[in-house]
Formats: sequence, structure tokens, C-alpha cells
Amino acid sequence: MQDFFQLPVFGVFISIVAFAGARELRKKYNYILLNPVLVAIVSIISFLLIFNIAFEDYNRGGKFISFFLGPSVVALGVFFYEKYEEVKQNLKVFLLSVAAGGVTGILMVIIFLLLFKVPDFIIESLAAKSVTTPIAIEITKLTGGIPEITAGIVIAVGIFGNAFGPFILKKLGIKSKVAIGTALGTAAHGIGTARAFEESKLAGVYSGLAMCVNGIITALITPYLLQLFFGLFS
Amino acid sequence: MLKALAYIFGFLLLGELITYFFELPIAGNILGMFLIFLALRLKIVNLEDVKPASDKLIKYLVLFFIPYGVGLMVYFKIIADYWLPISIAVIASTIITLYVSAIIIEKFGK
Repeated sequence: MQDFFQLPVFGVFISIVAFAGARELRKKYNYILLNPVLVAIVSIISFLLIFNIAFEDYNRGGKFISFFLGPSVVALGVFFYEKYEEVKQNLKVFLLSVAAGGVTGILMVIIFLLLFKVPDFIIESLAAKSVTTPIAIEITKLTGGIPEITAGIVIAVGIFGNAFGPFILKKLGIKSKVAIGTALGTAAHGIGTARAFEESKLAGVYSGLAMCVNGIITALITPYLLQLFFGLFS
Repeated sequence: MLKALAYIFGFLLLGELITYFFELPIAGNILGMFLIFLALRLKIVNLEDVKPASDKLIKYLVLFFIPYGVGLMVYFKIIADYWLPISIAVIASTIITLYVSAIIIEKFGK
């Protein structure tokens, strides 16, 4: 039976079925923790544990699915071009906001983790935790962290932003929907963007663009920031 | 659709090629994203020629990272050992990021 689970088609099939099922579940019950990605991942992990299937066996098929992350990142460039016109009149403030938020986020997570004295590979895996999963994974591969840890935390950050982002921002006195959208895209990538679209269409567009811009900024500076801090503290 | 896919994969390949030859510290797909944006802005590529493929890829983006999420199962123990510092660092820095981004637009945006 273990041989059977090593067939790539097993990993491909269970990924698609789990995701499709999780999306149906979300349509029926609109509850934040029923996030389709979270539900799909938890159900696949449970299945693998129950039937004692190694992750490596699952991933023989899984990697055919994750292969498409590469072209999807390129597709984000097309999305950015399409929506670019809508933020043009606010462009300078928008870029400043995303850059300031993005850089502060990377600095803060590195500083906190250094203070708590967690091992370096965890810091390397979490530095890019605010950006969209495919980009965060690529950054982690370059910095020497573990991409799977990155993926898990990035998804958790997205769900946190989706669930609590607008509430926290409103408590802190933010009123502008565009501000909430930009903040969600900068801090909580695509999953946060889904929430921004619930606030308003324009907030969603700003959020999607913030996600792309912060992806690029974070990809460019994270390796250097990590080098700088590890240099200072070792 | 085929033409659109060829463009997307073409730009991905171009990004990978450039990072490979110049040994840039940036992933090929991120460079590809930047290059396709540039090509669209400079009208080297038409939006209609790439949109069919890019729309589909973005629609299913979340499906594509599920295998990485599942991979987290291999690292359960590490995460469990450091769950408190990780949670504090991640939540605090996320809230700070949210606020810094939002307040700048709130104060200076139109």
C-alpha cells in the first residue's frame, strides 16, 4: 500500500480534492477559521498522519502542484500592471506607506526573534513572513531558512490579518478604507487582500498592489538585513 | 491561452536566465514578475495576450502553495519548541506593519 501512495497522482489528487472540498465548506459556513487553505492543509496532514504516509511520498505529487508557484508570481506582474492606473494619483504616498510598513515589519520580526534568542534558521525562515507565499518561499531559499516553516507562518499571518486586521486598525483610529486596504496587503498578503475586498473594491485593489510591491521590496532587502543583523549580533 | 502561457513561462525563463548568468541575489520568478510589468508598460507585450493565463494562475494561486503548507508537518516539533517567541514576534510585528502602513495613507493620502 505504501508503494501506491508514492505514485505522484496520489499527491496531486489529494491536494486538489482537499482544496475543492475546503472551498465548498467555506461557501456553506462563512467562519474565519474555515479559511480554505488552512482547512485543506490540516485535512491533508491529518490524512497523511492517520495512514502513516511520509511527507516525501505525498510531495512526489505535491511538487507538480507547487511548481505552478513560479509562473503565478510572474502573473502577479500582469495583475499589477492592470491595477496600476487606479493608484496612480496616490502613487508616492502609497509606495512610501508600503515601503515603510514592509521594512518596519522585517526589522521588527528579526529584532524580536533575536531578543528571544531563537535559532538563526527560524529567523531566516520568518524574516519574509508578511509577503505572498510564493515570494516568501523564494526569499527563504536564498536566506538559508526552511521554506516549509515560512509557508506555514505566512499563511498564519494572512489569516491573522484577515481575521483581526480591520478591527485592530479601526481601534487604532484608522478611518480611510484605502489605508486599511494598503495595510492589509502590506502585512497580510493575499489572504489579507481577500478581507480588503470585503471592506470595499478600492481597498481590495490597493491591497493587491501593496502585496506585489511589498513582495518586491522584501525580496530585495531581506538578505541584506539578515546579513547586517547576524553580523552585528555574532 | 497557449500564447498567454508561452509569454508567462517565457518571462519566467528570462528571469531565471538573468539571475543564473549574473548570479543575482533575487529569485528568477520575482525578476520575471518585474520584467513582464515593464514589458506591458512599454507596450512590448499586449495585456490581452497574457491575461487569459495570468487570470487563471492568480485564481488558483492558493492551491499551488498547499504542498508547502503540508510540509510544515515535518517541522512540527521545532515550531512547538519555540511557539511562544514565534507567536509574539510574528503578531507584534504584523500589528506594527499594519499600523505604520495605514497611518501614512491616513495622514497623507487623498
